[in-house]
Amino acid sequence: MKISEVVDKTGLEALNGWEDEDLTGVYISDMVSDIITGANGCGLLLTLQTHKSLIAAANLVDVGAVVFAHDKRPAADVIDLADKAGIALFTTPDHTWKYAVKLFELGMR
Amino acid sequence: MSTCAHTWSMTDVRSGYLVIEGCYHCGARTSFFSLEPVVPIDEYREGEHFWEHLGGYQAVTFNLRCDTCGELVDLHDMTGLMLSTCTDPRCDVGRLALELGKRVSIYVALCADSSHTSGSCVSDAGVLALSEYFNQRLRSGRRKIVVVPCKMCDRIDRCQGIVIADTGLTEFY
Repeated sequence: MKISEVVDKTGLEALNGWEDEDLTGVYISDMVSDIITGANGCGLLLTLQTHKSLIAAANLVDVGAVVFAHDKRPAADVIDLADKAGIALFTTPDHTWKYAVKLFELGMR
Repeated sequence: MSTCAHTWSMTDVRSGYLVIEGCYHCGARTSFFSLEPVVPIDEYREGEHFWEHLGGYQAVTFNLRCDTCGELVDLHDMTGLMLSTCTDPRCDVGRLALELGKRVSIYVALCADSSHTSGSCVSDAGVLALSEYFNQRLRSGRRKIVVVPCKMCDRIDRCQGIVIADTGLTEFY
């Protein structure tokens, strides 16, 4: 599923510039040590964490897009780091479970 | 030398704490991985060093095993990974970053002895396997990963970068 389709159908707000690409799956985690061992390349990462270490981990495992739940928003320097890494950042007002259900209903696994 | 074109997978994944200590006598830094249920915060003397607790972060350790030939690369000597943001031409890592450009991300494999007084660091085999493993997982073609040992940094305790660690999750203890 394309990032653009997920954005349109789940009402995401973009936090930086992004290029459309296929998302291979979903990973939900708030621990960077878990992300580097569990997340897959080009997947969507759903998280509450907004610090730089999150971007360092997402870049290492080639995450396609990060969605911050509960309207969380990273600081400007974190967005700058994501821009350099080419990682798309979005936020949703939904809490993690509610947004996860939306992704499931879209057919993402 | 192996002729296998390795396909690496993580194995022996263990969750614990990355504990960082400093010697208030000489300023050296050391770190180790702890499997204790809470972060150890002991102060103790070890030879000429007087180690005190500087921080503890939830972290994982792992080894790499080749799915094809079964070769195991032991990464017990690595305590973490740091995304380097160094562009200092006086530092080998910074110089490498300038040479490779923006599409290459350099990750520094951190060893326990950040001051390298023992002369040891993350093994060459470990660094090579880490580079191969993380590049094999890339799917987007947007970037390339290069892993280097922390001994390559000019001064690792002053090196600019972002350590992959779950900071701020242990203050409740």
